[in-house]
Amino acid sequence: MQSVNGLVGHGALLLALPFIALGIIAVPVAVNRGRRDWLEIGYGAVYANFALMSAAALAMISALVTHDFSVSYVAQVGSRETPLFYTIISLWGALEGSILFWAWVLSFYGMTVVALNKSRAGNLVPYAAMTLLCISLFFSILLVGPANPFHVVSPVPQNGPGPNPLLQNHILMAVHPPLLYLGYVGMSVPFAFAVGAVLSGEAENNDWIKVSRTWTMASWGFLSAAIIAGMWWSYEVLGWGGYWAWDPVENASFLPWLTATAFLHSAMVQERRGMLRVWNLNLVVGTFVLTILGTFLTRSGIISSVHAFTTGTIGYYFLAFITIVLVTGGVIVAGSSDKLRSKGKLDSAASRETVFLLNNLFLTAFMLTVLVGTLFPLVAEAMRGVKVSVGGPFFNRMSLPIIAALLFLMGVGPALPWKVASKAELRSKLIPPTAGALVLAAAALIAGIHDPYGILVFAFVGYAATANFREFSIGAAVRRRAHGESWPTAFLRLVEGNRRRYGGYIAHFGVFFVALGIAMSSTLRTEREATLQRGMTMQIAGRTLRLQDIWGREEPQRQVVGATLEIMNGNRVTGTLEPRMNFYRTQQEPVPTPDVRSGVLGDLYLNLMAFRPDGSNATIRAIYQPLVPWIWFGGGVVVFGAIVAGWPTARRRRVPAVVPVPAPPKPPAREPEYAA
Amino acid sequence: MTRVALRTLVALSLLFATPCARAQVRTDTTPRTTGDSALEARTSAVAAQLRCPVCQGLSIQDSPSELAQSMRSLVRDQLAQGKSPEQVKAYFVSKYGEWILLSPAPHGFNLLAYAIPVLMVLGGGAFIAVAVRRWTSSPTPDATSTEDPT
Repeated sequence: MQSVNGLVGHGALLLALPFIALGIIAVPVAVNRGRRDWLEIGYGAVYANFALMSAAALAMISALVTHDFSVSYVAQVGSRETPLFYTIISLWGALEGSILFWAWVLSFYGMTVVALNKSRAGNLVPYAAMTLLCISLFFSILLVGPANPFHVVSPVPQNGPGPNPLLQNHILMAVHPPLLYLGYVGMSVPFAFAVGAVLSGEAENNDWIKVSRTWTMASWGFLSAAIIAGMWWSYEVLGWGGYWAWDPVENASFLPWLTATAFLHSAMVQERRGMLRVWNLNLVVGTFVLTILGTFLTRSGIISSVHAFTTGTIGYYFLAFITIVLVTGGVIVAGSSDKLRSKGKLDSAASRETVFLLNNLFLTAFMLTVLVGTLFPLVAEAMRGVKVSVGGPFFNRMSLPIIAALLFLMGVGPALPWKVASKAELRSKLIPPTAGALVLAAAALIAGIHDPYGILVFAFVGYAATANFREFSIGAAVRRRAHGESWPTAFLRLVEGNRRRYGGYIAHFGVFFVALGIAMSSTLRTEREATLQRGMTMQIAGRTLRLQDIWGREEPQRQVVGATLEIMNGNRVTGTLEPRMNFYRTQQEPVPTPDVRSGVLGDLYLNLMAFRPDGSNATIRAIYQPLVPWIWFGGGVVVFGAIVAGWPTARRRRVPAVVPVPAPPKPPAREPEYAA
Repeated sequence: MTRVALRTLVALSLLFATPCARAQVRTDTTPRTTGDSALEARTSAVAAQLRCPVCQGLSIQDSPSELAQSMRSLVRDQLAQGKSPEQVKAYFVSKYGEWILLSPAPHGFNLLAYAIPVLMVLGGGAFIAVAVRRWTSSPTPDATSTEDPT
């Protein structure tokens, strides 16, 4: 007997299929026969898809909240003891729910794309909408097939196991996955515009690249936030005091971030110089393929990882879909590359264009390094029949030179003008930041960093930060002289006048904070472990910790054992920390719950490693890592930069097209709000 | 709590069907650091390259798991006995297979993993160098490009 939740949810999923199919057919009919009414049907299908996916998702949330165990997904992840908050967010806590959530977010993007862009002339938007519907079709097939969350469970169980303990142990689980999906799924939109541009024959026009860039900026901002939130979650929950383990799923989220970052930069070259058109098409298609590949790797169980859900037939569906996307991508890139051959010329090798080329080279090489490392265990096992591991040491060794190069370029790029830099310009722009490099390199040495890459990262961050800052200060100084503005006003007006450019520089600063945080915390980590009885003390990084108490507590869904430690400065207690172990009744291994005391300069991180069942002693691992909070702060700055750069403008500045093309006539009154 | 502690013990003893069988149960005492800081540094360097068998891609240096801790003390003991880091790693490879190394041993097929990124940078760099030279050698700069405030 199907409950109302199950009926509504399953019904909505089934109903979505014909709507999506209708929409996919309607667009070519509308375009080829010039039937405006069919276009309305196509767009209507996009809205209907969003409505139906919302209905399905809300039915699932309702089933979760009401503990409707007749719904298979609820029986799998629900439990009466789980707090309401974690019950709701378990919507994305396991395979089927996460696919449903994905489809919902995708349908939301589809609706937004149509709503914001449908007034654009030409056939770009109709074909983009059709492409998004095709992707929706894939996820809808998953949802009525191998990933159906609304199977009827009979007899109805009285209770369920609850979500994976790791996922209900920290509030960041409410933040990281939605951000990740918004970022990941959002990369479908630029892909849809790329396909739309080729299908509509408007790929030579720069229109699609401008729309794609804005959408990529938004998704990139979400993805950046998601990656940082994921690092933070890992730091707060996994108990080893680190934030990045080059886990396959971390890599999977990082891969499209790298290509999207490359695209955000190279799109500027296309807009300004009409170059790199084929390359940009590749980056957009590649970014989308990497999001699907990442989902495949993590959802198929092919690679073991913290995040891997279940195994099953779903992997084959993804493999088929990746093949289709790759073939489609290959066809559209190959088919249009003759038309799109570069028309631009470079005036000089000493120009911002060249730096962007190098930026793209290193970002792509970075992506390839991570991709090779992630897939290599699979390849090696297939080729040699031997299991090999590719972990932190490999990725660090391979990526550090690339990271150093990128940091350096982040200083050179903003300093160089477009087209050509004169010798005098080169001198006046590239030499002063060297002072910043020297200052930060000295700071690294004084702080005690001996690792050569650590010092190099500091030096390059010093160089690049100075160069980026000079873009602000020189620009503001010009405004002050010209308009007599105060410094703050001049800064604000400067940014306002060209948000894309200065938003980008702000994002650069975020990256500098992250880089310093990582360089410092990974090279100067100190760590002590001690088994303490009550009243005993241990030392870490000049601080004294005294074990005050070991305690236990029953909660509905778990048992908690904790230790209370006082942080002492001399005889004065400056704070307490309570590292805990949470024992969920569905899992043998306890979930460590470290406690962290953050300061501007670093984190004191305590983990309860072991305890005597009689409570007579506890083993505490204490880690001191400098500058870890700078990573989270830097992530915030990156996102702020993305918002500054990508926030849609109400009015549209008319920028003449770089390469004159017969632009399709635009409706005069309606201005597309989402244009860059 | 005792039930859980027991379960943990059972799980541990199963895991210790490995060279770490004689490791102490950690609730008693676990000196993570000894007085010898040079030995500690060498231990950390080796431990950072060995995979924790019960974790997701963490090294035995980073992992807080009990197995990793006992493997680390094994590393420390072997280094203290005068074995070279390479010998210690070889010992773990003989026990667990190549999988225990966090970077694949750089020989044979594995070299591919190291070579591809390097070749990509070199090849891409060469391509860009050629392209930039060709694009800049043209006598007529693109007349249609426009000034832009960006």
